[in-house]
Amino acid sequence: MTKLLVIREQIVKFVTKNENYVRPISKFILALITLVIINSKIGFATRLANGAITIIISLLASFLPINFIIIIAMIMILLHLYSLSTACAVVIGVLFLLMFLLYFRFAPKTTVLLLFTPICFLLKVPYVMPLCAGLVCSPASIITIACGTVTYYAIDFISNNASVLIGNSNEEFVTKLKMLMDEIMKNKEMLMLVVAFSFTIVVVNIIRRLSVDHAWTIAIVTGTLLDILIVLIGDLKYGTYISVVGLIFGSFVAVLVVTVIKFFVFNVDYTRTERVQFEDDEYYYYVKAVPKNTVSIADKQIKKIKGQGTPAPRKEKVAERESAEEQEMDAVEYRVRRSTTKEAPVRHGKRDANGLTDIERAAAAKARAQRSAKK
Amino acid sequence: MLNESRIKLMTKMASFEAGEGKKSMAIGTYFKGNYIWKEVIKSIIYGTLAFFIVVGLLVAYDLESLLSDIYKMDLLDVGKTIAFNYLKFILVYGIITYIVFSLRYTKARHNLRAYYNNLRRLSSMYKKEDREKRERTRARRNGRPQ
Repeated sequence: MTKLLVIREQIVKFVTKNENYVRPISKFILALITLVIINSKIGFATRLANGAITIIISLLASFLPINFIIIIAMIMILLHLYSLSTACAVVIGVLFLLMFLLYFRFAPKTTVLLLFTPICFLLKVPYVMPLCAGLVCSPASIITIACGTVTYYAIDFISNNASVLIGNSNEEFVTKLKMLMDEIMKNKEMLMLVVAFSFTIVVVNIIRRLSVDHAWTIAIVTGTLLDILIVLIGDLKYGTYISVVGLIFGSFVAVLVVTVIKFFVFNVDYTRTERVQFEDDEYYYYVKAVPKNTVSIADKQIKKIKGQGTPAPRKEKVAERESAEEQEMDAVEYRVRRSTTKEAPVRHGKRDANGLTDIERAAAAKARAQRSAKK
Repeated sequence: MLNESRIKLMTKMASFEAGEGKKSMAIGTYFKGNYIWKEVIKSIIYGTLAFFIVVGLLVAYDLESLLSDIYKMDLLDVGKTIAFNYLKFILVYGIITYIVFSLRYTKARHNLRAYYNNLRRLSSMYKKEDREKRERTRARRNGRPQ
């Protein structure tokens, strides 16, 4: 457990430290996943489904507020559907318009759930969403999750029946419109999931607010069981033929995912709970204080220790500078001598043990040779 | 000299100003009644738009039977039904808007009150510092040999 807590602290520290990079990168990844899913599911406009365009739009989305990803995704969906059939674009466009007009001006912060719900449906783990929303958001997120579920089912229906819905002839417009609206209004499976998710969100939210120990864990378990129960009852009543194995496996994965979220968001130590009671002029206070599970991670500092034989970096630099100055002096000396004696250019070298440069040595040797020749 | 408690207070206030404070300050410029009714009127406009879009879609959905039965239908009765449903919808939507935005206004006023309290505390801190500075200067001047 301590290791996990250390890892959590490290992740939190890393994210906090690199927030300027983590935020746009996560937005880019979310936008990319969304657009790739849209293109693979309903990529009817082949030009828009191009990989380069997807990446460019995702890059653009990474610098914009997160709600823009939803707007971009909606525009992309409508453009794809328009190239399939006008009726599809009209119905889904009206659905989006109603969402914006009636709901999203009340709760713009929860709009991101609208994006995650269809993604979770495609990953076959839709049961994650009601548990997450119940734990982290307010009960108002019911509407967002319901909108996400309806959007997913509508798009899934269009994707599966593209061969029937294709074409823009005026005669078939009403037929297609009717077909789509029937799907949106009368899909039993979709309605059953909307009801199950709504109840789950409310129950999870109520339980996690209770002042009992392990409220979050109780909320997760109760929510999962309630979700499974409502879906099974709905399946029996309406005959939706929902996969029971998929339901149980999806719920199991949902519990795992939500447990990870709980570990990051609400990790407390109930063994150290303190109950205090005090009063002021107006109230009596019964306070229950539950400490958070935290560990302090060791702050590692790397100190370089060098052996005595090697000089310290500063000394090395000083030596280098001195040598450069010497060479500079040699060069000046050489230039002066050359201008006066017309000597051939000689490469500079370091001073020898006697403190002479190459030039001086050469000049000395020449003088010595001249002297011996005279003798 | 840096005053740690003042810096903490200023950081807290700056964080509020940059985040939630923007909305709260915008809300705080209205009286409660004006703010809520502005939002309710907006909701009525949006709700009307949404209602008639849905009616249009339902008409398109049932266009064939509507065209065949239009002469047999009591149009006044249909109109009354639509108007009644519209009023019902707008009433419910308006009430929801009223509740949501009145809660939002109360929360914003609460936040603003806390913010203005902090502002007052900050101002008193500055005054106190100024006073201390003046006293120090005076003491230095008085203690200086003439």
